[in-house]
Amino acid sequence: MKKKRLLTFAESINEAQIQAMKLDKNVFIFGLGVEKTGHVFKTTLGIKKKFSSKRIFESPNSEMALTTMAAGAANSHLRPILIHHRVDFMAYTFDQLVNWISLWSFKSSGKSSMPLVIRAIIGRGWGQGPQHAKTLHSMFSYLPGLTTVMPSSPSEAKGLLLSSIMSNDPVIFLEYRALFNTKEHVPEEPYFIELGDVRHRLLGDDITVVAMGPAVLTAIKAQDICKNKITFDLFDLRVMSNYKLNKILKSLKKTKKLLCVEDGWGSGSTSSELISKIVESGVELSEPPVKITWPSSHVPMSNPLEKDFYFDERNIVKAAEKLAKIKI
Amino acid sequence: MKNFQKNLYHQLLYIRRVQEEISNRYHPADNMKCPMHFCMGQEIGPAALSSFLRPGDAILSHHRSHGYFLANKGSLNEMIAEFHGKETGTNGGLAGSQELSCTKTHFYSGTILSGAFGMSLGDAFSKVYKNENNITISVIGDGGMEEGICSETLNMAILYKLPILFICENNKYSTHTKLNERTEYQNVSDRIKGYKIESHLFNSNDPEKLYMLLKNLTSKIRKTKKPIFLEIMTYRFNGHVGPEGDDHYNYRSKAERDLWSKKDPLKVYRKKLDKKFGIKFKNFENKILNDINKKIDRSFAFALKSSFAKVYKKYNYQNTYHKSVKKFFNNDISFNKDQEDHRPMPY
Repeated sequence: MKKKRLLTFAESINEAQIQAMKLDKNVFIFGLGVEKTGHVFKTTLGIKKKFSSKRIFESPNSEMALTTMAAGAANSHLRPILIHHRVDFMAYTFDQLVNWISLWSFKSSGKSSMPLVIRAIIGRGWGQGPQHAKTLHSMFSYLPGLTTVMPSSPSEAKGLLLSSIMSNDPVIFLEYRALFNTKEHVPEEPYFIELGDVRHRLLGDDITVVAMGPAVLTAIKAQDICKNKITFDLFDLRVMSNYKLNKILKSLKKTKKLLCVEDGWGSGSTSSELISKIVESGVELSEPPVKITWPSSHVPMSNPLEKDFYFDERNIVKAAEKLAKIKI
Repeated sequence: MKNFQKNLYHQLLYIRRVQEEISNRYHPADNMKCPMHFCMGQEIGPAALSSFLRPGDAILSHHRSHGYFLANKGSLNEMIAEFHGKETGTNGGLAGSQELSCTKTHFYSGTILSGAFGMSLGDAFSKVYKNENNITISVIGDGGMEEGICSETLNMAILYKLPILFICENNKYSTHTKLNERTEYQNVSDRIKGYKIESHLFNSNDPEKLYMLLKNLTSKIRKTKKPIFLEIMTYRFNGHVGPEGDDHYNYRSKAERDLWSKKDPLKVYRKKLDKKFGIKFKNFENKILNDINKKIDRSFAFALKSSFAKVYKKYNYQNTYHKSVKKFFNNDISFNKDQEDHRPMPY
């Protein structure tokens, strides 16, 4: 049997962009450093050579105007991909997201659209500290009209990015830094993942675990530790709002236990909203739902504190033991 | 009378009359339940520009947008219906005056207005990308120009060589705060030169002069694909917002208001044409005034008989994809087999 092709998360994103650019000549990439040294964690490597400087080009440090440039281009039927090396720089662009991009389709009563993608690198790195390690996905998901995507693995990243680029709605595509070197089998042909379709990731009977982005991998590691003693029915949310709840509700009818795992602050989080939706649905739980998130604090740089700040698979195992009332 | 003079006067009068009628009919009927920023006194820009707009051009405007909307051949029926919150409105009744837009005529505006200034970059970029000979008009005021995004936008417009005509209508007030309380410079165009953008200051109430200038500037932009900045010194006769007037707050002196009222481009131009063409002009004016008034009456009748907007939630998302998306990949795990391959390596 032929060995299946493995790609890293970064290679998958690279391939998705190249394939999107082949599928539609209106797709282009811009941002600061997209064609320089690191090539955005190698995700834009080789694109200029394959296409031209018309399709991928450098920009000044002007996040606000860059975002409106993407908006204006998208309104004129191009499909821009704007890249920020850190999501923290997107704070400059609050006006563009809140007052323009997210409400563009709405205020035209659907006559205008904004098919753009803003890629931003989020999360944990080597002592990145309070201005370089945020995730902010829940903040973006508060806005109607915007779709916030956080992929969890290479194959997911490829399908979700292709769909994000080809979606006629604006998408914020958040890439967790620590995932860039993870490897997985990724099909070669272009494929699309429906934005809003929650992925059933692991089959289990004891606890419904909902995660997104890097937390999916952490949950899988926790399942490895639990072996067969506690099994997770694991779901990857993929999209932070406007997802279909049916698969999760069906699972909860079986397990009656909910554990949410999220790399981000807990208050007003995607998990909080998910729990609220589940409670509103009336599905009965046997235990109160549990949420594992970052503490309500900015991210410390100092290494021991940083280790303390982030949760890992052991925190998930502990929570699972409590929920399932089983000791591993 | 030459054709261009007829068009120019017609546009000036049309924009003024529409505003007057909206103001007159706003209260006590209260059928138009949205804030409005009138542009009476500031018609010279849109009126002079209107002759040089081509169907593929786009305008991104500030919130004082009625003049530019009409100059860009926006439908008066749809504009008045929009103010009434009707589904036949140009935004389907969901935006009102402050964010008046029209997808088919490429007209967009907003009240957090410097964002529209920035969006002109992408609009113009798409024209270059698609090799079109169209241009983008970006309209802003002296207040909006103080936002940081404008500095970024000007730099990128010249860096990427984008065909944009930036028009800054300097009416000296940001709501009620005068320019000299906000900046050391009194002319926005002074500080544009530093970006290496060609800039012009227009300080006159002669519509024909502005017409000639805009003729040159628009054709130059189409040819060179480079941005040009034009500052027009102007004055708003009405209050900042609404038909009520706000001069009782005494934020601007009576002497200043009287001076500008005397310089009203519509009044001055009318006098000039009257003097030059006499009865010919009078006949022309009577005819277009009659047409304009009828058109306004028809637009209000259209708005009143239209239905209110009924739906809104579904418009937040298009929920559609590019034609290349024919089916979706289902990778809900095939349990027990291939599990290894689907598992990312630990980091």
